[in-house]
Amino acid sequence: MIIQNLTVRFGDFTAVDDVTLEIPDGRVVGLVGESGSGKSSLARAVCGLVPYTGSIEGVRRVQMVFQDPYASLNPRMTVGDTVAEGIRGRDRDSEVKRLLDLVRLPAEVAGRYPRELSGGQRQRVAIARALGGDPGLLVADEITSALDVSVQGAVLNLVRGLRDELGLPMLFISHNLAVVRYVADVVAVMHQGRLVEVGPAEQVVGEPAHDYTRALLAAVPRLRG
Amino acid sequence: MSLRWSGPAVAGAVIVALMAALAVAGPIVWGEAAERIDAGAILQGASAEHPLGTDNLGRDLLARVLVAGRFSLALALAATLIGAAAGIVLGTLPSVLPKRGARLATGTVNALVAFPGLLLAMFTAVVTGLGARGAVLGIGAAIAPGFARLTQTLAASVAGADYVSAARMLGVPRRRILSRHVLPNIAEPLILNLTQALGGALLGLAGMSFLGLGVQPPSFDWGRLLFDGFSRIYVTPEVALGPAAAVALAGIGFNLLGDALARAAARTTVRKMDEPPAPPPEPGEPDPGAVLDVRDLTVTFPGGSTPVRGLSLAVAPGEVVGLVGESGSGKSLTAAAVGGLVPYPGKVTYGRLHLGGRDVAELSDKELGTALAMVFQDPLAALNPALKIGGQLAEVAVVHEGATRAAARRRAVDRLGQVHLPEPERRAAQHPHELSGGMRQRAVIAMGLMGTPRLIVADEPTTALDVTVQRQILRLLREVVAETGAATLFISHDIAVVGELCDRVVVMYAGRVVEELPADRLADGAAHPYSRALIASLPDLDTDRTRPLAGIPGTQPAPDQVGPGCAFAPRCSLATERCVTQRPELVAHGPLQRVACWEVS
Ligand SMILES: Nc1ncnc2c1ncn2[C@@H]1O[C@H](COP(=O)(O)OP(=O)(O)OP(=O)(O)O)[C@@H](O)[C@H]1O
Ligand code: SF4
Ligand SMILES: [Mg+2]
Repeated sequence: MIIQNLTVRFGDFTAVDDVTLEIPDGRVVGLVGESGSGKSSLARAVCGLVPYTGSIEGVRRVQMVFQDPYASLNPRMTVGDTVAEGIRGRDRDSEVKRLLDLVRLPAEVAGRYPRELSGGQRQRVAIARALGGDPGLLVADEITSALDVSVQGAVLNLVRGLRDELGLPMLFISHNLAVVRYVADVVAVMHQGRLVEVGPAEQVVGEPAHDYTRALLAAVPRLRG
Repeated sequence: MSLRWSGPAVAGAVIVALMAALAVAGPIVWGEAAERIDAGAILQGASAEHPLGTDNLGRDLLARVLVAGRFSLALALAATLIGAAAGIVLGTLPSVLPKRGARLATGTVNALVAFPGLLLAMFTAVVTGLGARGAVLGIGAAIAPGFARLTQTLAASVAGADYVSAARMLGVPRRRILSRHVLPNIAEPLILNLTQALGGALLGLAGMSFLGLGVQPPSFDWGRLLFDGFSRIYVTPEVALGPAAAVALAGIGFNLLGDALARAAARTTVRKMDEPPAPPPEPGEPDPGAVLDVRDLTVTFPGGSTPVRGLSLAVAPGEVVGLVGESGSGKSLTAAAVGGLVPYPGKVTYGRLHLGGRDVAELSDKELGTALAMVFQDPLAALNPALKIGGQLAEVAVVHEGATRAAARRRAVDRLGQVHLPEPERRAAQHPHELSGGMRQRAVIAMGLMGTPRLIVADEPTTALDVTVQRQILRLLREVVAETGAATLFISHDIAVVGELCDRVVVMYAGRVVEELPADRLADGAAHPYSRALIASLPDLDTDRTRPLAGIPGTQPAPDQVGPGCAFAPRCSLATERCVTQRPELVAHGPLQRVACWEVS
């Protein structure tokens, strides 16, 4: 699929400024940038959730996993009902179980309500729900920023598994360059609504061409006292 | 929702219960007395026989007031239900109609809300015919716009929620989105509003009858009795007193109860536990210097779930302590317990829970509110979307310290500047949604600084923010801590951020502390197998992309399934027989470090 000359405006503020980005079949494109750089606005436009100008071609169903696991689940619906929302004409219960299993949640959480889950558990429910919609493109907006490192690894492995097995293309958004470098084939760097650098992951991280990319690299936290 | 039985709430409930009893029993008990005509006792004032006097047919007015309760309340109920039904339908139209129709519906609601309620009521009553029916429809019409506006506002806020977006993307039909997502999430405030509207309808109907637009003889409600009595008010004022008091009492009762219910709904947590801390485990010596001193803190939920298990923790003045651990390890509940915010029906017990040297159970809400500042993961939840930032901050100082509005406002702007929010004056005049995520988080921190907190508890305040903003916010917290001598408990699942920016790190697993150490030792000095595995599973810029990321196999046991031994044993590569059956205590491991592991200590 390809995003062409996409612009998103809120009033007289331009959140996304003339972005052109290709997401090749079966590839994960990582989008990095600081908060307010327009990553989420771009994601929402691709999902048809905000008005935009420009074009998005070559994709049918887009599903999104949201950043905030506290706001993305209906507090009055059980986990099972939430995950089942996108399931069409398949055996509901076994499908819910399969989806929960994919995101490493035990089947018994299906009967629980979001308030009974911790933040990380909720986010996994949201991922399961999106996968249930059988997406042609998955937009993942900061999906690991609320996850534990011990689980983050598994989810990132899962993300790559989905790409490898299902050929599921993905727009993977994160502020964590180390994470993006690991899952993405292509990395796009966004700054003030524009793409300042796009290239193969290793290249963008190894030989950054733009000052802003270098600044982002320097900001990656390191465990050295 | 937990109702706090304050004076007004009790009074409201009692009055409403009395009114209900009156509506049921009134006509049965006093029905006959109310209709008994006595030609010898026409238009009397108060007497022993007729405490409120009699009317122009000599009927006892006290009996008539008591009997009129049923009719008055029934009419009020009918008017409220009609108004609410009409209002809710009108209010949901904008979310179901296509764009054009939606705009029309919104415009209609706006126009109706602007129209004076009484005029609307009188107009409707006159058009639909004098009498009870006209009055009910009139009051219903007066109530409807308010409900429509409320429904519309509530529905709009839910319609913008991520879960509605998700449902839309999954192709869930509009109708179903309305019935499954929108209505259930707005039902509670609407029902609460009903109670208050009922009180209003009662007053309104009495007003209509009083104006002669309502109930016509021989039927009578309180308003009608008031109307009849009013002409005699200079001669025998007591005849008007009875119905007036009844209307006022009922109106006040419903309003008080509605208010109490609304408050209870807004506060979904319970502060203090009603039972004393069960068997207080010997707490040991209190740490006199610590700002926060927690000993054997346990949080349980009914059904054997114990997410926090005998946790002990101390934070010194000027210290920034990072609390890390995986999702569900009990970090947030630990924070909630410190602030007395564990959600119902959770139970908190502890050997000691001291804030600034005093037991938190002894602190008043107000003292706790000033001594402790809590910053949560979701800054939007901490800010009221309808109010300006400056006003919300000022409110804190007004409520907690009785500051004047002007002084509180100046301090609000000052604090916004202190948290490095650019243009604090302008920001203070903006609404929360006009600020970016990082700015909102700063505003929430500024809110915590309106008082003089001894302890700042920040629960994942930076999860959704990028590293640059995380750094700024942590630096800010550090500055505050250095300036005020306060302490910070910083909760995060991001061990890298915590390791870089905190003084000391406390690692939690399955409700317990498993390791405590200075942050700069984290990379090389972490001793507990869980801490070490966590650090190993952090991807960095040199991680091999061709291999699966390291993680920790298995999952953390659920809070109702923690066994007797080391909770990490099923996932630990060093586990032995002993680990499964006996739990290792947290013991010193060199200077400044404590570890709970058999194989390490
Ligand atoms: N209201 C509740 N009722 C029942 N169980 C609850 C409730 N709140 C939390 N829990 C359970 O308590 C455990 C600890 O939850 P808590 O929110 O403290 O985790 P956490 O460490 O903050 O996790 P996260 O990093 O995901 O925010 C979880 O297993 C959760 O399911
Ligand atoms: S006590 Fe045993 S199971 Fe627990 S962490 Fe240490 S070695 Fe592993
Ligand atoms: Mg938490």
